[in-house]
Amino acid sequence: MFKLRQLTTITTPKKYLLLFVSFLFSASLFAQDGKALFTANCASCHSVTKKLTGPALAGVESRWPSREKLHDWVHNSSKVIQSGDEYAVNLFNEYNKTQMTAFPQLSAQDIDAILDYIKVEETKAAAATAAPVGETQTAADNGDQTLLYGILTLILAIVAFTLLYINANLKKMADDKEGIPATEPIPFWRNKAYITVFTLVLFLIGGYLITDGAVGLGRQQKYEPHQPIFFSHKVHPGVNQINCQYCHIGVYQGKQATIPTVNICMNCHMAINEYKGEKLFNAEGKEVDGTAEIQKLYKYAGFEPGKPWDPSKAKPIEWVRIHNLPDHVFFSHAQHVNAGRVQCQTCHGEVTSYNEMFQFAPLSMGWCINCHRTTKVQFESNGFYSMYEKYKEDIKNHKMDSVTVKDIGGAECQKCHY
Amino acid sequence: MKIRLIIFCLSAGFIIAGCSDVRRDPGRVYVPDMGPSRAYETYDALDSNKFTQNVAEAGRKIFYNHLPVAGTVARGEDMPFPLAMDAPGDTTNYVASKQIESPIKSLDSVTMKEAERLYLINCGICHGAKLDGDGPLYKGGNGPFAAKPATLVGDAKYEEMPAGQMFYSVTYGKNLMGSYASQLTRVQRWEVIAYIKSKQAKTGATTSKPAAADSSAGK
Repeated sequence: MFKLRQLTTITTPKKYLLLFVSFLFSASLFAQDGKALFTANCASCHSVTKKLTGPALAGVESRWPSREKLHDWVHNSSKVIQSGDEYAVNLFNEYNKTQMTAFPQLSAQDIDAILDYIKVEETKAAAATAAPVGETQTAADNGDQTLLYGILTLILAIVAFTLLYINANLKKMADDKEGIPATEPIPFWRNKAYITVFTLVLFLIGGYLITDGAVGLGRQQKYEPHQPIFFSHKVHPGVNQINCQYCHIGVYQGKQATIPTVNICMNCHMAINEYKGEKLFNAEGKEVDGTAEIQKLYKYAGFEPGKPWDPSKAKPIEWVRIHNLPDHVFFSHAQHVNAGRVQCQTCHGEVTSYNEMFQFAPLSMGWCINCHRTTKVQFESNGFYSMYEKYKEDIKNHKMDSVTVKDIGGAECQKCHY
Repeated sequence: MKIRLIIFCLSAGFIIAGCSDVRRDPGRVYVPDMGPSRAYETYDALDSNKFTQNVAEAGRKIFYNHLPVAGTVARGEDMPFPLAMDAPGDTTNYVASKQIESPIKSLDSVTMKEAERLYLINCGICHGAKLDGDGPLYKGGNGPFAAKPATLVGDAKYEEMPAGQMFYSVTYGKNLMGSYASQLTRVQRWEVIAYIKSKQAKTGATTSKPAAADSSAGK
């Protein structure tokens, strides 16, 4: 490109030499500049392999009679349509009469460079689909290690019993030697010491389980229901770094964090119609096909890839609610996230590592109160707490280290129950 | 004796191994007193015996269609925008939106910070934290988003685009960008645009002046 632009100002003999040289490198040279030109001018509406706002550009040359015609189209597409070119008119109608932006500033060479780049990318894409890269990834070792622990316990138990048995035998032998008459051995189920220990252990374990179960009644920690679409937080806020508040728009202003509506999903998924990242696994370790899950979203949205989307056809997705706080507790996300500046992860855990969402916190009253007792109020440049002048003064004069939520009434009954 | 012990240990091992810690069931509630709300809460399924979305049935059942009462203006939704969305293939209102002036001319330091926060949450994911059209979803063509997002700073087309037209695109969507009317209020949208314009003014003077002349026809 750089060389070609210079050509016009260079004298003829040199020009031919340069032309020859540039021919030698032409393929890679064009493709280089073609990429830059493509990203700057075309990529917002076209992809080589995917249908976006405009058609996929792979094989574009074979669809047009000549490069000249394509040049005309890129320079001013409406002119070509007006001239009555059949292919151009059909194309215009197929894409909902969306006019392609005219690019009069692109020279014929520029467009050719872009076309060459498309050709290179096209063959690359074809090669990639023909020979899929060998999948080396082993099934995620997301370790169900219970079996391992079970076996270990078993082995240890056997070893312990064997040792006890050996010990008893040795004792008997020693007694024999010293002439102490052997007492009639008592079977262990009639041995009082064994019975006492067994009852005690049973009582402790049983008591623990019963108390734990009774306390846990009505609580849903670790609840991880099947959802209508396998939505992975690991992929969205994790790998792709989407901010929590992009989707949970209510978290800053309202009581509810809000579950995103289909149109928020479609902001990105209008263009992203396949999943190509790391393999996905559900909680049971079964593999999940990400692309099929995106297709499920399209069903709810009433969207067919390649056609313009009509949001009025969308149906809400019936997600299963995970966090169910009883009605007698008031909780507001805005108060915690906006005024209190609590991180999402404090109550929801490392969401960016969850493939399936579950309830991280117990949501018990003890858990709330403990946090209110220990969390320091973020007074600094925080307009919400501007009225607590005395506390601020005390902190300034080193009378207090910090003010906890409890100090400003965070442990009062009617703060949450009214 | 020993055989019994071995059978017991083995079966106990299998029972422990068979337990899964994935909790798919919400469990039971003991005395669900004041548990479920009696009032209609967000995301509650509407009981069709009590509620209706049909105005004609309004007297017999509770009429509720999730829409704000006609004539009310939500907080942050003042600053009306007079143009409706174009029909597909039509660009009349999109072109007309160039003439609409932004009601927010400049931002003070507090609103600037807020606008930046909103930009980074809602726009930066595609248009990049530096407004260079290279956010984490595009990643120079390696991200999952196939189309290149607009380069807001450094591209003459977007540097020259009037605030009104930007507002149109943010409100109704443009090409592969969806509508952000549900995520940002009108005031927030104007603030974000003012933020983008201020960033463009800062860096725009030094970049892309030569390219400015030849792209005016490209809109």
